[in-house]
Amino acid sequence: MTWTAVARKDFQDAIRSRWVAGLSVLFILLVSAAAYLVRPAPGETISSNAVLNSLVVRDALVTTLVPLLALVVAYKAVVGERESGSLKLLLSLPHSRADVVFGKVAGRAAAIAAPISAGFLLPAVVLLVAPPVNFDVVSYVGYTLLTAILAVAFVGIAVGFSAAASSSRRAVAGAIGIYFLFVPLWGAVRFPLQLYLGMGGGPSWLPLTGQQVLRMLRLLNPTGSFKIVSNAFLQGSLYTGGQVSMQVSATLMLVLWILVPPLLGLLWFREADL
Amino acid sequence: MAAIELDGVTKRFGDVTAVSNLDLTVPEGEVFGFLGPNGAGKSTTINMLLDFVRPTAGEVRVLGLDAGRDSVAVRRRTGVLPEGYDVYERLTGRKHIEFAMRSKEVDDDASAVLERVGIADAADRKAGGYSKGMRQRLVLGMALVGEPDLLILDEPSSGLDPGGAREMREIVRSEADRGTTVFFSSHVLGQVEAVCDRVGIMRGGNLVAEDSIEGLRGAVDEGETLTVTVDAASEDDLTAVRALDGVSSAATDGGTVTVSCDADAKTGVIGALEEAGVTVKDFQTEETSLEDLFLAYTEGEEGEVSA
Repeated sequence: MTWTAVARKDFQDAIRSRWVAGLSVLFILLVSAAAYLVRPAPGETISSNAVLNSLVVRDALVTTLVPLLALVVAYKAVVGERESGSLKLLLSLPHSRADVVFGKVAGRAAAIAAPISAGFLLPAVVLLVAPPVNFDVVSYVGYTLLTAILAVAFVGIAVGFSAAASSSRRAVAGAIGIYFLFVPLWGAVRFPLQLYLGMGGGPSWLPLTGQQVLRMLRLLNPTGSFKIVSNAFLQGSLYTGGQVSMQVSATLMLVLWILVPPLLGLLWFREADL
Repeated sequence: MAAIELDGVTKRFGDVTAVSNLDLTVPEGEVFGFLGPNGAGKSTTINMLLDFVRPTAGEVRVLGLDAGRDSVAVRRRTGVLPEGYDVYERLTGRKHIEFAMRSKEVDDDASAVLERVGIADAADRKAGGYSKGMRQRLVLGMALVGEPDLLILDEPSSGLDPGGAREMREIVRSEADRGTTVFFSSHVLGQVEAVCDRVGIMRGGNLVAEDSIEGLRGAVDEGETLTVTVDAASEDDLTAVRALDGVSSAATDGGTVTVSCDADAKTGVIGALEEAGVTVKDFQTEETSLEDLFLAYTEGEEGEVSA
């Protein structure tokens, strides 16, 4: 079990790339812009949750940009080393191929969590000292953590493709395909589908109601699962309200997205000639 | 016990056979030179020892372990300088050595390792700025971490200047003195002649020779080359020479006669020429060099397999 050595090396390597520095700046700017946009009118106070719930943070940054950037940071994790030849150096050392894949998931997870943490926490310093903002530390830090978990789910997907693919072109095609499916495509069909299924439409051969199909689709999508968990968390009703089973399922789905794609990728990677 | 044991090993990539039914045993403690032109199957063989590629048929055992199933255990005791590798451009030399130490789960002194391979002064520079020779030294340093029982070096002297190549040989020799088995491939003969106990020569995916350097010399037909300066010689004068025991070939351009023969056949050759009426003015002999030997094994019409 030497995956920790792989993870550490990979994090040290990835953190020095221009991507990670660039993303940190981008995240800091976006969160700061969101804080500026929702600033309270003179004489009023707002909660820091208003920043998190703003369009810029929740919809643009977290559920649209973060998945894309996580994929970008991670899609070359394995196949990039395979193409450059450094994978031979890596596998000359006593690592199993599973150590490589899961070390990469951990290393890249840390590499995307770093700019996310910087992006949320540095602007928070401003919010903390700004008197009209009622800063809720627990929900703010918790939301940052949840965002990092969403990013890690997409890191898992990207590393899975990266391990299975024989060229980075294939890995990026798989990663972008997944992104397209879960983010823009899902965003486009969600409301029509909701309407259609809500009115009793749907395949009659399924022993499920339209509502159940819709819930399953929401759960399957990592950004959907993330929204279920994060909304409940910000409302203070995570694992306590009426939707507990849905929230637990969503949490489990996120964990599955982190683990299953790398495992599937490993099945191919284990058999591959380098 | 054998450090490396290949038994009927074949590797095909699609319809290209890179290695064909290879049997090879390297005993523990030996320095084995794995020779052959590019594309002969050397790197494919090494890649099978390390489980980078899997054999199509046959069995590969390294340090008594199955090279596929027990690959991690094999690599824990093996230091490797692979072929066609790349370093981590953004990490320093020291970080590379530290990574090797953590991976092998040993405590070593990174500075001492870097010192030993001669790049201590570049330890804290990013490896992306290293020259080919420095990268080669760095990866050799990673291979030496943890006192391996077996060193596998694929073309270790490529990219090194003559001084670097000599240092590489010295490191190989001192590792061998420690009892390490060394298996290294090369198409540079000087490397092999200087440090190897035994060599194997690959050609077109087959092992065409396997012996000590001395043994190989004996196995090649041309033991010595005898060059005789004469007044005049014709093809007819060579008939008697060619008929002699120990003579493998003879040729003349009129003024000189060139004969490939065993060392003890020389007197017979001179005698036969004089008997044929040729006046011998001078003669000199030359031992067949390893270069000639190598070319004798590897050059020819047989098509080479690229892999």
